[in-house]
Amino acid sequence: MTPDLSVEVGTVRLKNPVLTASGTFGYGLEFQPFLELAELGGLVTKGLSPRPRRGNPPERIVETPAGMLNAIGLQNVGVDAFLRDKLPKLRAFDTAVVANVFGETEAEYVEVCEKLDGAAGVAAIELNLSCPNTECGGMIFGNDAASLGAITRACRRATKLPMWVKLSPNVTDIRETARAAEAEGADAVTLVNTFVGMVVDVERRRPVLANVSGGLSGPAIRPLAVWMTWQVRGAVKIPIVGMGGIMTARDALEFLLAGATAVQTGTVNFVTPSSAVTVARDLSAWLSKRGIGSVREIVGTLDAGRAS
Amino acid sequence: MMSDFATTVVRNVDLGRGSFLIEFEDPGIGPTMRPAQFFMIGVPGGDVLLRRPFSVCGLPGTFDDATPGTLQVLYRVYGRATSLLSSLRRGARLDVLGPLGCGFEAPDAGAQILLVAGGIGSAPFPAFLKELSRAGRKASMIYGARSAAELPLLDWFGAHAERVTVTTDDGSAGAKGLVTAPLSERLARGGPLHVYACGPNPMLKAVARLAVEAEVRCDLSLEAPMACGFGVCLGCVVPVKGPQGEKRFERVCVEGPVMPASRMAW
Repeated sequence: MTPDLSVEVGTVRLKNPVLTASGTFGYGLEFQPFLELAELGGLVTKGLSPRPRRGNPPERIVETPAGMLNAIGLQNVGVDAFLRDKLPKLRAFDTAVVANVFGETEAEYVEVCEKLDGAAGVAAIELNLSCPNTECGGMIFGNDAASLGAITRACRRATKLPMWVKLSPNVTDIRETARAAEAEGADAVTLVNTFVGMVVDVERRRPVLANVSGGLSGPAIRPLAVWMTWQVRGAVKIPIVGMGGIMTARDALEFLLAGATAVQTGTVNFVTPSSAVTVARDLSAWLSKRGIGSVREIVGTLDAGRAS
Repeated sequence: MMSDFATTVVRNVDLGRGSFLIEFEDPGIGPTMRPAQFFMIGVPGGDVLLRRPFSVCGLPGTFDDATPGTLQVLYRVYGRATSLLSSLRRGARLDVLGPLGCGFEAPDAGAQILLVAGGIGSAPFPAFLKELSRAGRKASMIYGARSAAELPLLDWFGAHAERVTVTTDDGSAGAKGLVTAPLSERLARGGPLHVYACGPNPMLKAVARLAVEAEVRCDLSLEAPMACGFGVCLGCVVPVKGPQGEKRFERVCVEGPVMPASRMAW
C-alpha cells in the first residue's frame, strides 16, 4: 500500500511534506531539467523585495565543514518581475508555490505582501525576517520578538494569503519569536534560517566573504535545527515547517518526529538538484516498510522520555 | 542538454607535480559540448559537501591517446576536493553535472588567434585547439605559471599550437616574468587578433586591461567559487557593465564562464 504523504500546513494542503527552501531553488523553473516540479510538496521562491536587488559583491560563498557559508545579499528580480515573468509559468505545475518576502522597512514588507495578495498561484507567503532593518540601525527584524511581532502584524493586515513566518536561529530563545509570530497571526512558523558565521582567510588575514559574515547551512546545523524544532513544538500550536541540513529522508524524519508538519530541503538542492523528490520518495518507502498509512501519523511522535 | 549523471572513472593520469588528467565515461554529451563549458563534479561518499567546477579539457577527438567514449578533465590538487578526486582509480564512481555554461565563441574571421593560459587555466584549451585545427585555424599560445612545475600538458600544447611562449615567475621555464610581457609585445605589433584567456583572476584582469586598451577582442574563461553550477545559488557572480554602463552582477555559471574582457567591471 502506498502511504498517504499529504499534509496540511494550516489551510495549505501539500501532496507531500517536502518543500524546497528559499534561496536554494531559484524560482523553481531552473530545476525542470532535474525533477518534476509536480512531485514536490511545494517550492519556496527566492526572497522577493519591492524592487530588484543586485546583492553583495563576491566572494559570496565558501564551503565549511559539512556546510557552507553564504552572503548573497538577497539578490532577486523583485516582486513585479516575479508576478509578470515567473508566476505565470509556475502555475502550470501542480505544486504549492510559497512566495518568500522581505524588505528593508516595515512598509516594504507590506508592499510586497499587498502585491502578492490575490495573485493566482501563490499558495502562501513566507516572511523572511533575517534582514537588516535600515530604519533601525540595521537590527535584524527577526532577532527580536517585538520587532518580529510588529512586522507579522503589519503583513497580516496586508494579505489574506496563509502566512508563514521564517524564524532566525540567531536568538537567545527561539520559543519567544515563535510565540510572537503565533500571537500576531502567523499560520505557521518555518525554522530555521541560517546561523550567522565567519570564515577567515588566514594568509590574507581577511574574512573570506566580502560581507564579512554569512549564513551557515548544510548538515553542520542539522542537530541545532532539530533541537529548535522540538523546542518550538512545545511552545506554539501552529504548524511548524522544519529545515536545516536535510540531505535524506532519514534527516527529514528527524524533523517530522520532533514536531514539524512539513520540511524544506536547502543546501542539498545545490549538490544534487533532484534531491527533494528523492527525499519524498524515500520517505514514502520508509513509511511503507513500517506499515504506516500516513505521514501525519508520525508528526510530533518523538518520545523524549525523561528528557522531556 | 544539461543532466546530472553518475559515471565511471576510466583513468586518472598523474601528470606529475600535482596535476592530473581524469578520464570518465561520456554518457553521450561530448558531441554537444563546447570547449570552455564545464562540469560540476562530486565524489560520492567523500567528506566534501559541494561539487566543484571543472572545465572540459578533452572532448571526443581531442587527445589521440584517449580511451574512446570518454571525456577528460585537467585539474591540480589544491584542496580537499581535488585531493579526493586524485585518489580515484579505474571503476570509481563520479557524480557529474553538465554540460554547464557557455563555451568559447568561434574566432573572428581573418584574425590571428592567441590563447593565454595561466597554470591550470590551460584546461579548456586542448579541446579548443583541436576544434580550431579542424576548422583549419591556427593558434599561438602564451603559457605562464609560477614555475616549471605548474605547466601541465606543455608538451601537448607544443605539438598542437603554432607557437608556445612560456613565462614563469621564477624563470624555471621560458622567460622570467608574467604572460603580460609577451602579450604586450604581440599587441604592439598590431593586426587583427582574437585573444582567449583562462587563468587566475589577477592574470585575467591584467590581460583584459591590455586587450581593451589595444582594442583587441578578448574572451575570458572565468572561475569562481560556486555551489550549484546551474544558476540558482548566485554564489559565483562577477561585476560586469550593463547596457547603460551601470555595474551589475552576472553569474559565471550561466552567463559565463566565458565573458568578453570589454564587459568586465572589476
